[in-house]
Amino acid sequence: MAAAPPSRALGGITGNATALRVTAGILIVMAFVPLLHSGYYENLGRSVLMFATLSLGWNIIGGYAGYVSFGNVVFFGLGSYVTAALWQHWHQQSIVLAILCAMVVGVAFALVLGMPILRLRGHYFGIATLGIALATQEIVSNIDWLGAGSGLTVRPVDAYSTYYYAMWIVCAASMLATYLIARSKLGYAFVAIRENEEAAAVLGVDPTRYKVVAWAISAAMAAAAGAVFAGANGFMDPPTAFALDNNVFPIVMAILGGVGTVAGPLVGALILTAINETLWSHFPQIHTLFFGAVIVVVVVFLPRGLLWLFNTRGGWKGIVGSLGAYRV
Amino acid sequence: MQLFWQDLVNGLLVGGIFAVVALGFSLVWGIMNIINLAHGSFVMLGAYLSYVLFSTWHVDPFLSIPIGFVVLFVFGYCIQRFVINFVVRAPILTTFLLTFGLSLLIVNFALLVFHGDVKGITTQYSGSNFSIGGVTIAWVKLWTLIVALVITALMQLWLTRSKTGRAIRAMAMDIDAAQLSGVRVAHLYAIVFGLGAGLAGAAGVLISLSYSLQPSMGDPFVITAFVVCVLGGLGSVQGALLGGLIFGILEAFGSQYIGTGLQDAVALVVLLIVLIVRPRGLLGKATA
Repeated sequence: MAAAPPSRALGGITGNATALRVTAGILIVMAFVPLLHSGYYENLGRSVLMFATLSLGWNIIGGYAGYVSFGNVVFFGLGSYVTAALWQHWHQQSIVLAILCAMVVGVAFALVLGMPILRLRGHYFGIATLGIALATQEIVSNIDWLGAGSGLTVRPVDAYSTYYYAMWIVCAASMLATYLIARSKLGYAFVAIRENEEAAAVLGVDPTRYKVVAWAISAAMAAAAGAVFAGANGFMDPPTAFALDNNVFPIVMAILGGVGTVAGPLVGALILTAINETLWSHFPQIHTLFFGAVIVVVVVFLPRGLLWLFNTRGGWKGIVGSLGAYRV
Repeated sequence: MQLFWQDLVNGLLVGGIFAVVALGFSLVWGIMNIINLAHGSFVMLGAYLSYVLFSTWHVDPFLSIPIGFVVLFVFGYCIQRFVINFVVRAPILTTFLLTFGLSLLIVNFALLVFHGDVKGITTQYSGSNFSIGGVTIAWVKLWTLIVALVITALMQLWLTRSKTGRAIRAMAMDIDAAQLSGVRVAHLYAIVFGLGAGLAGAAGVLISLSYSLQPSMGDPFVITAFVVCVLGGLGSVQGALLGGLIFGILEAFGSQYIGTGLQDAVALVVLLIVLIVRPRGLLGKATA
């Protein structure tokens, strides 16, 4: 059933080295976007960075550890509510404080839920995480302290570009963390669990412990992104915080770029945000329909992601020949 | 006490629909290891088909059930044969996302064609009901349950007695051995997906009798189908039926005693508990 493990197919545990250097270059260039003094490009850039961070977070548990989570938006939502609650109840505007508190809350939530949930495998784990996301949204909608269904407002800091830089730092830190983790013993343990959990256990990797760690790291990244997003957005209600888009887009982005690589999430976030933005501005009526079509085409023709194209031997023939790899 | 019996009966009546929805979902999942997120959109298509037939040619929804089944069967067969079969052996994530994309496509296409306003079907017998010992039962819902039970029984008979049904069960046990024995996997996979879609379509027609119609109406049914499969155990007809009825009752009591706002959260908490305590479902087998 399973084809070649993605790690090998993509050239090592961090992915293709050239692709990684180019992507890091793009990220550095993106730091200068606010100098354009264009609100449009700044918002778009922040959105790319946010989705890249969410995608990087998902990539740790879903890409490296191989546990496909469909509920990572729950950490994003909780992180954004931390910012909102800090302003609403304590009049704290500090972005750094919000990010740190959000990461603590996200990690705590992941640790508590991870123990029972990570015993499940495959589809069961996926749907259990989706269930957690939906249930948390519904529960938050019923908590008056968090504004229940009508939400909370946040007062943005005066220098609005601060949110862009904050999101850039969160994204760059997540990418660096992914790179360091992928090259460390921790990353090897995650990949070992993905490839064969029993074998990993026999070799002395405690699967439960490492899976919970992977989920907690993934939660920290998503929560930090949520904390910055809430400040920039100025308003937080359950449908915004736990939006289905924020759950699914990051996964599609990771797949488009390349699952289990360091560069893949940012590449996917850039491409997909560009496509989405173009469709939105030209076909507002049917842009979701187009988006569905994009997902279908990407999954059918590029099930292993774009970065994988760099590593295919035999040029175009090799690429065309491998299209039917998962066919019956 | 009367309220209790009323809730119990209501739950059972709705549970029949859940069972049919979940049966198709369970077949596709159990045999091909595909979590079909487009399943809800098939339910929606069935409901709209029934609506169009009723409002244009005054076809009674109960007569639309076989039509809904056949139309969605063909639709599902084509989707599997010409799209999903290309990546069906990929890791679970791939097919999960693919069906998510398909559901976005179908729901938004329906939004374009039927618009977002709420529609409904009102037949001459829509309001009629009868009472037994203080418990009121709507005729439509009773007949819906009966039809649902008949569909489930036919499905079980077909899977165990027919040659194709046996081939399908053989595929679920060992795909390679089945292929060696001459089972045409690509074709049969398409048949299974077609059956799943057809059952969703039939359920959609049943749902059009007592629910209001909207392009996004099918989405909650995906989670429902999943919970039902987990409750009853994967890939068994009896499991889907039992799970559907239990879930119907749970939902009826949940909305009565806990409140409609938290009704879905109750279902999801039940799901989590069952997953953790009994990962193979109530009727599931213990083998890996």
